[in-house]
Amino acid sequence: MITRIWRLLPGPLWARIVQAAILVAVFLVALSFFYDWLGKVIIDQGGTVG
Amino acid sequence: MNDIDSAIGGSSARSADPGDTLGMRILHNAGWTFIYLGVLTLGFVVHQLFVTTWFAQQAQSELTVEREEQWEETEISEVVVVANPDNPNEPIVVTDPEETPDEGQQARPLILKVESAPELGTAFALIRIPKIERLQDGWNVVHGVRTRDLRNGAGHMPDTALPGQPGNSVISGHRTTFGQPFHELDALDPGDRIEVDTALGTHVYEVRDFRIVKPTDTWVADPREGAWLTLTTCHPKFSARERYVVFAELVFGPNAEAIEVMS
Repeated sequence: MITRIWRLLPGPLWARIVQAAILVAVFLVALSFFYDWLGKVIIDQGGTVG
Repeated sequence: MNDIDSAIGGSSARSADPGDTLGMRILHNAGWTFIYLGVLTLGFVVHQLFVTTWFAQQAQSELTVEREEQWEETEISEVVVVANPDNPNEPIVVTDPEETPDEGQQARPLILKVESAPELGTAFALIRIPKIERLQDGWNVVHGVRTRDLRNGAGHMPDTALPGQPGNSVISGHRTTFGQPFHELDALDPGDRIEVDTALGTHVYEVRDFRIVKPTDTWVADPREGAWLTLTTCHPKFSARERYVVFAELVFGPNAEAIEVMS
């Protein structure tokens, strides 16, 4: 899947590297929010202790 | 087709592969889905154990500054406590220090220092447990036990007494995430010391008891006679199924003597 996304990126190599870096950053931020939410649901029981 | 092509499964070999069917493709995609889910789950574990701790440690540095400012702004009032020679169980509490107790009751006037209640979410205390390595230098205590409060530090339950005051002061903390301040709370034995610094000074508590209770056992936060510190955290480690609770009694500090007379 990763190589498929890489191939879909338009432009020369340097532009593809920049786009890939932005995509990775956005993915990590989204993942962090997702993990935060998951942590609240699974570990924090109503905001008391976990 | 040469030998190398056939060995690595060249295009002509692949097209003839009897395994290249719809069923195999589903199996192949399912395999990759499980690999992605596994990596995602592993990422979650790493996030909970290490990333949240990193964020909590960053928050601790900011809370230390906030706590020191809070201590400067805290208003401290004094209540005069006089031992009652007629009835030792009922001390005379004079809320106005200007008010003079009767002459016969002045034998042992003691001062109970009272600090103003901190704002919700503000760091106002530092908890130190010499027996637990990670708490030897202290961990900031925030007023409140909301999710965001406990992410930054240990949390003081707002409806309970402040540390160093008469009653039951309850402090909760994470066990395995967000800096895991109370990770080794089960290492405490009766007689171990817990120190809490507030704007009034250092209050020293001694562990008396510990219990494992259900999360619904809110009685652990009920008011108590004397001055108590109740620490709560999740139990067992990596689960929020139960609560590990440590009960400690005030033995030394700016208010210890006055509270002893009042109890």
